[in-house]
Amino acid sequence: MARRAVILAGGQCKWGVREAHLVDLFQEAAKACFEDIPTLKPKDVDGLIVATSYSGRCSFQVNTAPVIAERLGLKPTSICTRCDTLCAGGSTGIILAKGLVEAGVADIVMVAGGEKLYTPQKWEVFYSELASVDHDWDGAQGMGLPPPFFALTAKEHMKYYGTKKEDLAMVSVTNYNYAVDNPVAQMQKALTLEEAMNAPEVVPPLTLYDCCPITDGAAACIITTDEIAKKFTDRPLVYIRGTAQVCLNSVTANFPGEHLADWKHLRIAAEKAYKSAKVAPSDIKVAQTHDCFSISEIIEVEELGFCKKGEGGAFCSSGQIKIGGKVPINTDGGLLACGHPFGATGIRQAIEIMKQLQGRARHQVKDADIGLTHNLSGANAEHTIIIYGREPVK
Amino acid sequence: MAVVGIPILENLYPVTMDMWPLEAKEFNRIWQFYENLKQGRFTTTKCKDCGKVAYPPRVICPECYSENLEYIDLPKRGKVIVFSEEVRGVPLGFEAPLIHAVIDLGVEPVRRLLSRIINCPAGYLKEGDEVQLVVFQIPSHPIEKGKQGTIMAERVFFAFEPVKKP
Ligand SMILES: [Zn+2]
Repeated sequence: MARRAVILAGGQCKWGVREAHLVDLFQEAAKACFEDIPTLKPKDVDGLIVATSYSGRCSFQVNTAPVIAERLGLKPTSICTRCDTLCAGGSTGIILAKGLVEAGVADIVMVAGGEKLYTPQKWEVFYSELASVDHDWDGAQGMGLPPPFFALTAKEHMKYYGTKKEDLAMVSVTNYNYAVDNPVAQMQKALTLEEAMNAPEVVPPLTLYDCCPITDGAAACIITTDEIAKKFTDRPLVYIRGTAQVCLNSVTANFPGEHLADWKHLRIAAEKAYKSAKVAPSDIKVAQTHDCFSISEIIEVEELGFCKKGEGGAFCSSGQIKIGGKVPINTDGGLLACGHPFGATGIRQAIEIMKQLQGRARHQVKDADIGLTHNLSGANAEHTIIIYGREPVK
Repeated sequence: MAVVGIPILENLYPVTMDMWPLEAKEFNRIWQFYENLKQGRFTTTKCKDCGKVAYPPRVICPECYSENLEYIDLPKRGKVIVFSEEVRGVPLGFEAPLIHAVIDLGVEPVRRLLSRIINCPAGYLKEGDEVQLVVFQIPSHPIEKGKQGTIMAERVFFAFEPVKKP
């Protein structure tokens, strides 16, 4: 019988400004992951994929996988490697683990992601951001920090589709309020529309709550096959039904859309992911979309097919992303409130979707059987989608 | 008493942490782009076999993988499509206001070039404004050249500025 990948368990450490080293954060996350599946022991894990992008600059550590394996007490025999796709690193690790366990190369893989971004001097992390875009072209134009790029994106969405600042603010309000009772989120603040509308400017039209914070944190999950998973758990199995990762450009001059609010690469990724998962946008009961900025979520709901192109602002501000809405999104707080330690984010998203599909989420979506995670990474250079389901693809 | 550790970097230029490109011939096969910039020319590579013009310049054609490329001039004037202004929290190495614009230079593949706009106060720029290329010096960096000792590689970079002076 074909080997079919599932996500078995997952956990994360407290995210935020952490008085801790990168390897400490990974240890806390791994502990939380094993606590989620007490029958599974570190000795059962035969593979490790580490997702981190800033370890080279902010922790002066490359070849991170052996360091993390040793600190976690893992002794991988099938795979022990690192992947770096910045904001999509965790999801990339899950896609790779799915391929490895389904191919029989590995049996039980831990995918662990994390970043330590609060450096003793703040300028160092900001300076390092010049390496997170195409360094010689966009970095040298001062595009390292992402707010200017997403301010341009928001301005074009406003110009082409009439999106309003209130629409952006409502995304922040919704996502912040999902995180109020999430103890591992960076922000646990009940945000009001008035506060969001009157927040300090970052790069107009973006203000404070439109932008995800800088975050220290780590998360870990276990990817295995359904047959192996049954030996460890009685919980409903959560299958990885389909995936896509699309890259059409790096330098912003080669952005594939007609304008910055037209995300052609995400449309292509969505089409491929839905096809491989054999589902339609209308089948998605709960989603995690990459709300690095409020405007991102607005464009994502459009390109993922949850509403018509241009109607993302109204979709989000009319409550369609809340529990009871058409597609509840970022039900644990998303990047805006949970924070965004790049390599860990895709794993946090996967854990929330797993819990939703198993009926044990904090803000539970009723009868959730199909869920989706999405990341954008770099200066909107790549889109990554994973679709999960209670049933395997038939 | 000397402290062993980072002070060993005193008086050393950490080129691998440079915010600007390594443009020198010794480290970059598209050095011609930067040499052209020094002459005030904004250029990129065109494939002599299939005609593909790519930006940024390359050493192979991304369409047909030919190495038979030539440098061609791109327009140095364009129009602002959309722009952003960052006044607070500007990253190290850049000054406020940090203005970014998507510029239409009128030809492919630079119909939507993203550039910094300099020599422009906050609140001055408008959509549709004409902007032009500016080339400026950036810090030189050392290159160890064996018996010749260490040389300094001179560098320039580019941005755009409003045609109509503020
Ligand atoms: Zn060619």
